[in-house]
Amino acid sequence: MPKIVVDPVTRIEGHLRIEAIVEGGKIVDAWSSGTMWRGIENIVKGRDPREVWLILSRICGV
Amino acid sequence: MLKSKDTIFDGLYSFGVSRRNFIKFCASMSATLALSSSAVPQIVEALEKKKKPYAIWLHFQECTGDTESILRASKPSIAQIVLDIVSLEYHETIMAGSGHAAEKALHDVVKNQKAKYIAIVEGSIPIKDGGIYCTIGGRTALDIANEVCGNAFVTLNVGSCSCWGGVSSAKPNPTGAVGIADAVSGIKYVNLPGCPVNAENITATIVHYLTFGTLPVLDRHNRPLFAYGKRIHDNCERRPHFDAGQFVRKWGDEGHRLGWCLYELGCKGPMAYKNCPTIKWNEGISYPIQAGHPCFACASNDSWDVFGPIYTRAPHVPGAGYQATADKIGAAVVAGTAAAVATHAAIRTFLGYKQKEKFAKEKDEADKIK
Ligand code: SF4
Repeated sequence: MPKIVVDPVTRIEGHLRIEAIVEGGKIVDAWSSGTMWRGIENIVKGRDPREVWLILSRICGV
Repeated sequence: MLKSKDTIFDGLYSFGVSRRNFIKFCASMSATLALSSSAVPQIVEALEKKKKPYAIWLHFQECTGDTESILRASKPSIAQIVLDIVSLEYHETIMAGSGHAAEKALHDVVKNQKAKYIAIVEGSIPIKDGGIYCTIGGRTALDIANEVCGNAFVTLNVGSCSCWGGVSSAKPNPTGAVGIADAVSGIKYVNLPGCPVNAENITATIVHYLTFGTLPVLDRHNRPLFAYGKRIHDNCERRPHFDAGQFVRKWGDEGHRLGWCLYELGCKGPMAYKNCPTIKWNEGISYPIQAGHPCFACASNDSWDVFGPIYTRAPHVPGAGYQATADKIGAAVVAGTAAAVATHAAIRTFLGYKQKEKFAKEKDEADKIK
């Protein structure tokens, strides 16, 4: 079973990896993974709610 | 990858950038670099004759805001100029190839242009747990940075995350995010912090290198002095209101509508070093303070923790003695007003401290619960 890996997937924001299993010219199974994590959910815990928007807006700058 | 014209001007010309706009661009670069007008012909000559240096743009723990900053840049479509001033061989957001083709482009430059290319890095590097929190092509960000930045002529850290960790490194820094120079030792680098970086500062740094063969003068944090030599507060258009004691007290109050100083709303402009008030954003249209929001020192190290809470008045104001100077010169009634402002400031300083203490305590408790 040949496995195709595309990493990095370009022209997107962030880091994405695609893995696919090919059988007889058809994709029979596939996985996508975001390969970057910052834990921003944990960073905003316990902060002054008024500044949380400034932090969360930095999840994606596109 | 993107285009193959030899000199920078050739490339621009093929994009339809006129000679007039090209000269205008060179003049604006000279101004950004705080050089005299006599430097303009030198810049023109360099960009007309020099070959484009190779560049690799890496993304680690980031939001692509710095790339957006470049792509949304302006006159005469600076996007073209920035993208054309260097021969950009690898940039995940805009390159055509994916997967192996992308990785090959990267390796080719590292191998064939060793110690000659510029590495431009956006985003921090997570060093916790073996670096697993950011991987590209199955390799960790740390591994890639070691290879690409370690072999570059110079690394330009664009945006606060690649300079010192930025928002990813805000407490409790879940992934152990650090800036590039903290992760890869012994590299030659320039820090261009900001959240995001201002495209004009990247371009000016590269233009300086192309014109004079050297990097611009840097401060002790490796930031170019032309962009980070002055505080926001030094060139802020609301500064006369600060000096006169005219502060916005509440969002949307009369002072806010009149464009008074945002210090009481938490403005960190007096501690933040960057050229926002002069170069601004969106083709020089505006920047946060002009739009009515206090500066939160996005370009400073640890801005999320040391400079916060964002909407709390800064406890210390370097240079707040201006009011005293005004007292001496001004009439008695002015002195009276200034004294009242100073007293108010003292009370608020105390409150600021209290609030900060309270906040820190609450944060500690929140940490304990975790
Ligand atoms: S405190 Fe902020 S708004 Fe007020 S003058 Fe300084 S930089 Fe400008």
